[in-house]
Amino acid sequence: MDSVIETKALTKKFGSRSAVDGVDLHVPAGVAFGFLGPNGAGKTTMIRTLLGLTQPTSGEVSLLGLPQPSKRREALARVGAIVEEPRFHPHLTGRENLKIVAAARDRAADTRIPDSLQRVGLAHRADDRVKTYSLGMRQRLGIARCLIADPALLILDEPMNGLDPAGILEMRHLIRAFVEEGRTVFLSSHLLDEVEKTCDQIAIVDRGRVVVQGGVSDIAATGDPTVLLAVDDADAARRVLATDPRVTNIEAEGRELRITLAEGLDSGEVNRALVTAGIAVSRLEPARASLEEKFLAITSRLEGNE
Amino acid sequence: MRLVQAEILKLRRRRGTMIWCALLTIGAVVVAEIVLLSLHAANPSKHGAAGGAENLKNLLFLLGGLGNVAAILIGSAAGSQDVSAGVFRDLVVTGRPRPTLFSVRVPGALAVFLPLLAVAYGIAVACAYGFAGGKPQPTGGEVVHYAIYLVALCGIDIVLAIGLAAFASSRVVVSVLIAWNAIVSHLLISIHSLGGARTFIDVAAADHFLPAGVDDAAIAMGTATAIVVLLAWASVFLTAGRLWTQRRDA
Repeated sequence: MDSVIETKALTKKFGSRSAVDGVDLHVPAGVAFGFLGPNGAGKTTMIRTLLGLTQPTSGEVSLLGLPQPSKRREALARVGAIVEEPRFHPHLTGRENLKIVAAARDRAADTRIPDSLQRVGLAHRADDRVKTYSLGMRQRLGIARCLIADPALLILDEPMNGLDPAGILEMRHLIRAFVEEGRTVFLSSHLLDEVEKTCDQIAIVDRGRVVVQGGVSDIAATGDPTVLLAVDDADAARRVLATDPRVTNIEAEGRELRITLAEGLDSGEVNRALVTAGIAVSRLEPARASLEEKFLAITSRLEGNE
Repeated sequence: MRLVQAEILKLRRRRGTMIWCALLTIGAVVVAEIVLLSLHAANPSKHGAAGGAENLKNLLFLLGGLGNVAAILIGSAAGSQDVSAGVFRDLVVTGRPRPTLFSVRVPGALAVFLPLLAVAYGIAVACAYGFAGGKPQPTGGEVVHYAIYLVALCGIDIVLAIGLAAFASSRVVVSVLIAWNAIVSHLLISIHSLGGARTFIDVAAADHFLPAGVDDAAIAMGTATAIVVLLAWASVFLTAGRLWTQRRDA
């Protein structure tokens, strides 16, 4: 199986508004895949459509290589999902809530309940009512609920929401552990930093459209290279660099410069030009564009187009 | 079967609902019997024995009225709890067909309610025989007729509540069905100009199972007609609830 999630021209409309707009998505097996977008971009609607919680207006969906909705039951038997915030029967204990969902799955699901609770660190609170749980504990119980299916694919909608820094770190480790076990994790988030730290591949979505998808580092590395410089005279350096049309952007902050190089110019040439002009260069390094910068660049470009 | 057990678990752990339902069934019969025994003990010449056929009939109507409310409470909880707790979508993403998730609510709710009704009715029958004194005891036929009547009256309300709860909140369901059972249906039954159309009222169909002469206002109909009317009501509400559950966004 090449891909665990495959969509073709998937569209979901509410009236005349497209929440998901002709999405072609390809999620390979065995990775943590981030579905990244600002609030209201259509992430949750996309997840709901993938899982059959709402019917698509048009397009095709395949989960674990099985076409939907015709092979829905077979596919969802190996899928664990948290949609929006994890919800439970508050008057039942954590263990009882898992029993309720296990009853809807295969018989082996019951036997996985103790291990699932242990895995997410809730074994000691399993017999307390869920209404006494914190949001972080509910998130973990939601993960345990996914695990009782022994899922090949986990679909997690904003799993870091409401978690404290320790909880976020714990969730990140859990997700990476799932990937190490050969499972695929598809997670939606608007927390760029977390997606960058957790995921191998991403799709950036905006206004229901997938704008770009691929490896995190590949996407972050797209565009013209940027170089960070530390010099003894920033104004003089700026004047020198401004004469070269291949330097497309210069930002100065104190004695540091951040410059963008067009094709055909490398950092060695920049260094030589500055030294030749009598400017001492104490630092010169390629700047690693963060996913956040790429994300903002992509989404602001879209806004500019409108 | 596992899904039915899960329904039973969800309902039985609703402590408030279960306490109220136990009070409305077992509690009501026990309190009424204590009152009858106390009155008889205080003044035997004025208040006859606490048992007997006549007292069983009175307890039957008490149990029918209050047990009916308990049935509606349990039915509305069974029909609405997954959606109101936000858990329905988590059940849907297991891949189980929605009609199955809807249908298991009926046996689950009946399995929780009927034992309460059975215990309450058992106490009433035991007291009717045990404390009859010199009064006539109920016949075996009366005991069976009353039991069928209670199951028909309360069972149909559980089913209606589950079907209706697919569309409306549990509060709305409880209000509508109590109003229907306590007021509207009896008003309609009392309107003689409606003639044979009153046969199609579920409460009138349930009344058919009372022994002859117990309810003066009973609408004449055959047993087969009464069964068909009750099944038709159940079928309409369950079909509507199932269709809505199938089509709605989870």
